[in-house]
Amino acid sequence: MKKIQRRAALSSIGAMSLGITALAKGEIVSEPYKIKKQTLKTDILVIGGGTAGVIAAIQAGRAGRKTILVENGSQLGGTTTTGGVAFPGIFFAWGNQIISGIGWELVQAAVALNDDTLPNFSIPHGKNHPRHQVRLNGQLYAMLIEEKCIEAGVQIRFYETPTQIMFKKNNWIVQTMGKGMITEIICNQLIDCTGNAYATSIAGFTVLREAETQPGSLMFEIGGYDFNSLDLKMIQARYQETIQKGELVKTDFRNNIVGVLKSKGDNISHVMGADSTTSESHTLANIKGRTSLLQTLRFLRTLPGLEKTKLVDMQNETAVRETYRIDGHYKITHADYVTGKKFDDAVSYSYYPIDVHDENGVVPDHLKEGIVPTVPLRALIPKNSRNFLVAGRCISSDRLANSALRVQASCMGMGQAAGATAVLANLQNKTPLDVSIKDIKEMIEAHGGIVPV
Amino acid sequence: MNMLYRPIFGIVVVLVFSAYFIPQKIRYFNSQTISLPPDKTQAYIVDFKDSIGIDTLFQVKSKEGYPISYYRNIKTSVCFDNKCRLLDIVLYWNITGRYLGFELPEKEFLSKTEHEPFVPDEYKRLNEILADSMSALRTLSYNALVPRYNAKTAHADGITSPSAPDVLEYIVKGAAYTTYIMWHFVYGTTQNEVENRTGKELSAPLLLKILESPNLTDKIWALNHSRNYLNQSPELQIKLFEVVDNKDYNLAERAINSVNLKETASDNLQILLVGKFAKGNYALKKLILSKLKEAPQLHNQTKEDLAHQLKSLNGELLGNVLDIFKKHDVNDAETCRMVAELLENDNSFISQKAYAFLKNIKIQDEVIENKLVKYKSGRDLNRN
Repeated sequence: MKKIQRRAALSSIGAMSLGITALAKGEIVSEPYKIKKQTLKTDILVIGGGTAGVIAAIQAGRAGRKTILVENGSQLGGTTTTGGVAFPGIFFAWGNQIISGIGWELVQAAVALNDDTLPNFSIPHGKNHPRHQVRLNGQLYAMLIEEKCIEAGVQIRFYETPTQIMFKKNNWIVQTMGKGMITEIICNQLIDCTGNAYATSIAGFTVLREAETQPGSLMFEIGGYDFNSLDLKMIQARYQETIQKGELVKTDFRNNIVGVLKSKGDNISHVMGADSTTSESHTLANIKGRTSLLQTLRFLRTLPGLEKTKLVDMQNETAVRETYRIDGHYKITHADYVTGKKFDDAVSYSYYPIDVHDENGVVPDHLKEGIVPTVPLRALIPKNSRNFLVAGRCISSDRLANSALRVQASCMGMGQAAGATAVLANLQNKTPLDVSIKDIKEMIEAHGGIVPV
Repeated sequence: MNMLYRPIFGIVVVLVFSAYFIPQKIRYFNSQTISLPPDKTQAYIVDFKDSIGIDTLFQVKSKEGYPISYYRNIKTSVCFDNKCRLLDIVLYWNITGRYLGFELPEKEFLSKTEHEPFVPDEYKRLNEILADSMSALRTLSYNALVPRYNAKTAHADGITSPSAPDVLEYIVKGAAYTTYIMWHFVYGTTQNEVENRTGKELSAPLLLKILESPNLTDKIWALNHSRNYLNQSPELQIKLFEVVDNKDYNLAERAINSVNLKETASDNLQILLVGKFAKGNYALKKLILSKLKEAPQLHNQTKEDLAHQLKSLNGELLGNVLDIFKKHDVNDAETCRMVAELLENDNSFISQKAYAFLKNIKIQDEVIENKLVKYKSGRDLNRN
């Protein structure tokens, strides 16, 4: 036995002296990895697998078109799942359902599989619109939408992001970079659902942005304390003192530590300037969100009654509310939104209060009774583009209108409309702006969606 | 709306009263679930595990024996600024646990911070606040009724206890603590107790009565409690399916979900469901198909009705129907031929669904076999 061990050791020394790696049983020497390059062809490419992109891709797949969905993260759902804002709204306005179709189907499926109950949409939400948001199990929703994409024949490509987008011979040629992969995707119709108009910008079309954008939010949950037994006045006083000392930042939690404790972290954080457009800006938003949470957690644990405060859960990304918007054929204005303007080319509804978050928090401005805004197709198409659509918060709109249009149910409605339009444009060899609105509406309705009348 | 009876408290379990009205009492009421006159009042001693603890819950019944309302005589302290005042009030609940109204004892009135009596508009406002089951008061703490800390006014706040700005819309101004305490009594353990008591006396006729209420919350309550009663009453089945339409999603969703597993086996219920399927919007269609998928058996009529609609369904709904057929081993030639027609659909999502269904069915039918061969060769051609 000893002899054998000695022989093996000598053999290893010999191999090392020759520069050869000694291999253990089962090991093999792998060739250096070469970045794999490939070309794929598809009818429709959706870039961004978030709230709108998933619906657009499923719509396209179910209409029988070959569809690829590119997502730079590891799961679908975006703000609803990775961002943790798992309470999509609002699907009902004034007692009537205004957004249904694929988005509502997926929400229904998640509610049923989690034995959740729906809010009573027939009772008006008054000034408390979150009453009509549907609380979901975000991770369950992520799995369900992935399953539905696969069922619809959608090819999902995680961890990829576009680096180059060119229009040639009536097709888009999109180069994406992912883990160890460079892929060229040739598609006839392209839908930008990045939320940041990122693909639109790379493709060379104008995008717009406000000098100051809404803050993002890092979703988390804290526990380990009894809110009702806390001395809130003392906590508020200590919080203000700590801010005065420069140890905490006033805007990180809307200057409202009681709100943090009461909500246990649900949609209370504000990450000023949060921008998910590039890996650099999103990294910054994530670090800012996590740093402020960590500092606040340490602060809370110094207070009476909060010594055992614990971080129960935290999303791994800061969710973002506002970055870039496209310069579309029509820009939806605040006046359009709050008067519920009915556009001739309206392809979906939207319903939400004007909801601009700033450093002090948010005071929603509710729509007047009976008002249900609509989304015109032209707002989903960048000026000077062909075979190109967007869906989601990067819709062409002014800032106030965008603060309401950006929410998840509205994005789902837009996603289905963009998906249906891309399908028809592909089938009819047209650019989206030339597709008949009647045809688009018929296709959306055939797939369960609701279109403005 | 004023109620036309006044309960009297007693020690004995069952008491009988006649209805009468005392005008000098302050009383505010909302619409009652069942509009039947009161006949008997029954008292239950309950440990409510709230700030009062063991107390009496009174159940008012109609002559027909239906429970029609509940009430509690609340006597508790409202404390703030190191002072306490007695709150003496009777709170009423509907049989579905919904807040019904309040009544003050003779010559009693509610007052605000500076001992100023409530004016009629404030009583009306209080009644509205108490009727709001979704009020933010549910998540607010008693301590949060004071304003956020402000160094300049901190001392004054401690003396006057004005209401915090963000709670003002949920309370009667100047009576934040009284509003808060009353709201939490209304939606506290009594509500569950009321629902449980009614639940013990549920029957198909009582559910029918509750479903007749114009109040949506009552209807939802009845639908949530209709499971296991449908097979007992064809009238209830009909009434329940009346709400399954495109008008109110919540009612329709609750009605469909109230059909239990055993009941889904009923041919009557399946026919009702398929009838609603044909007219329903997409969201309802999805719910109905999910319910039919649960059924332990599929009636022939149900199968035929669904099969005849296959051509008009979108790919997702088609997939749902085929899943039901698969679960129930539907493999007759007539149905399979209808499915086989979909192999020729231009939409590959639809033709693939049809193919996935048919490929695992062993059926000797020349028409179907030919269509399958044609579909496979066309698909192979596209691949090449």
